[in-house]
Amino acid sequence: GDSWGIFTFLCAALCNLPALPALNCSEELGTSQSIQQTYDLTRYLEHQLRTLAGTYLNYLGPPFNEPDFNPPRLARAERVPSATVDLDLWRGLTDNARLAANYRAYSRLLCYLRVLDGQVGTAELRHRLAHFCASLQGLVLSIGGVMSSLGYPLPAGPPAPPGAPPASNDFLKKMDDFWLLKELQTWLWRSAKDFNRLKKKVPPAVVTLRLEARGF
Amino acid sequence: ESHTQYERVGADVTMKCGSMDWDAAVTWTVNGTDIDESHLNGSYLILKNVDLMQSGQYSCYEGSSWHLKYQTYLRVGTPPKEPVLMCRSNNYPKGFYCSWHLPTPTFIPNSFNISVIHGTKEMVCEKDAVPKNRCHIRYLQLFSTVKYKVTLTVTNALGKNFTTLTFDEFAIVKPDPPESVVAKPVPNNPRRLEVSWQNPSSWPDPESFPLKFFLRYRPLILDQWQHVELSDGTSHTITDAYAGKEYIIQVAAKDNDIGTWSDWSVAVHATPWTEEPKHLTTEAQITETTSASTSSFMAPPTTKICDKGAMVGSGAVAVCWTAGLVVAAYSVLFI
Repeated sequence: GDSWGIFTFLCAALCNLPALPALNCSEELGTSQSIQQTYDLTRYLEHQLRTLAGTYLNYLGPPFNEPDFNPPRLARAERVPSATVDLDLWRGLTDNARLAANYRAYSRLLCYLRVLDGQVGTAELRHRLAHFCASLQGLVLSIGGVMSSLGYPLPAGPPAPPGAPPASNDFLKKMDDFWLLKELQTWLWRSAKDFNRLKKKVPPAVVTLRLEARGF
Repeated sequence: ESHTQYERVGADVTMKCGSMDWDAAVTWTVNGTDIDESHLNGSYLILKNVDLMQSGQYSCYEGSSWHLKYQTYLRVGTPPKEPVLMCRSNNYPKGFYCSWHLPTPTFIPNSFNISVIHGTKEMVCEKDAVPKNRCHIRYLQLFSTVKYKVTLTVTNALGKNFTTLTFDEFAIVKPDPPESVVAKPVPNNPRRLEVSWQNPSSWPDPESFPLKFFLRYRPLILDQWQHVELSDGTSHTITDAYAGKEYIIQVAAKDNDIGTWSDWSVAVHATPWTEEPKHLTTEAQITETTSASTSSFMAPPTTKICDKGAMVGSGAVAVCWTAGLVVAAYSVLFI
């Protein structure tokens, strides 16, 4: 109904990210350097997330902040992109596919986090979330930068609106938040491994490419 | 026919002589030795407050004919206490293993059953032949958000118990310690030691899942360790070793991003390179002042300059402060 429409609009508006990072940037970036930087960013974010998640889960209250809370995955939670992947499939990913998966995932996650930011109660949480979103935006841009420098096209347009309607009750809403944070954490762990693999595959000699500003 | 009977420590046990009447005349033996009649109540054998020593083969013979009427093997034990369970991934991303043991023995046979649940799926943990109380699981998926729940149930004839572990894929990653740690002196460098090692052989994919390392070293005579964390490479040169002192060195490993540090590797010993000692004559002492002042400690003299309390360290590397000061003072005089 009404709330669904508002939610979609919110998401679309907040998710209108530019497809290309650093427009009009003519800096020369060593690709292996930017992969290293992206890797470092994921580690930094993972560290930041630990504090943020702790605060947020306490805000949600029990059972969400209990260390052994292990709820079943409800079907509705599938809208949040999952880092989980078959081992051989993950190994066999091309560089393009690997980067694209990360780019898409963080774009979507960022979108959901921004919606969260708008709804959250305390000032401290809003501040932390805002800071985290800014860092996460930096990560998305960084991944985009790596893709461009390797000549890969960025995944199409703003992320699709979420498939499931927003939670009908308070508890389900909290569950959604819980899984969002969990997926984010898992993605950051996975990205560290993704970028490790990319580091090894891109030749260590600095490959410099000029970033071109492209419209989309 | 023969039976086996399990009883708890401290229990009272009554053994009947098969189908014999209560008032029949019988003789009981344990492991071939006659049991005194005071333990009998008619033809029943009464054992009160049994202990482990009373385990054995109990036989009942008809009084006059000495026919064997009943035989049972009594095993005294305890029901199992809560087992100790540990799960660990030393071969990430291949999978993980779980191993278990009982905190106290039960003295009777136990059987173990392990179940692994991942979300809604039940996974099979394949039992290892060696060591016995261990099983391993292969990951089907990587980077899972759903926790693994491992339940170990131990059962014996006197009872059962269980324990559960719940964990994330990343939390149990702990490599084996680095292998083939080697430490060598560096020629013409009295303060250096070159250390090298290898990735643990159980770690399947160091390319995609690189390890980082932690090196610790100290001279044998001191208790305080020096630490160095190394984010890549499998070698390191120590540049601040005390000249002439024997060092003990260990290395630990950790996945670059997740999990916990391995145990410390086997310790290796090494002493930095030292110059060949020159023969001390009066002339040599004067010309040698510069080299004497750089090595501040010398072998402890056995004269009374030194008392026990002023000794630092122990054994072969004991150093006497007073003697050291005396030598240093002489060296300064000659500069």
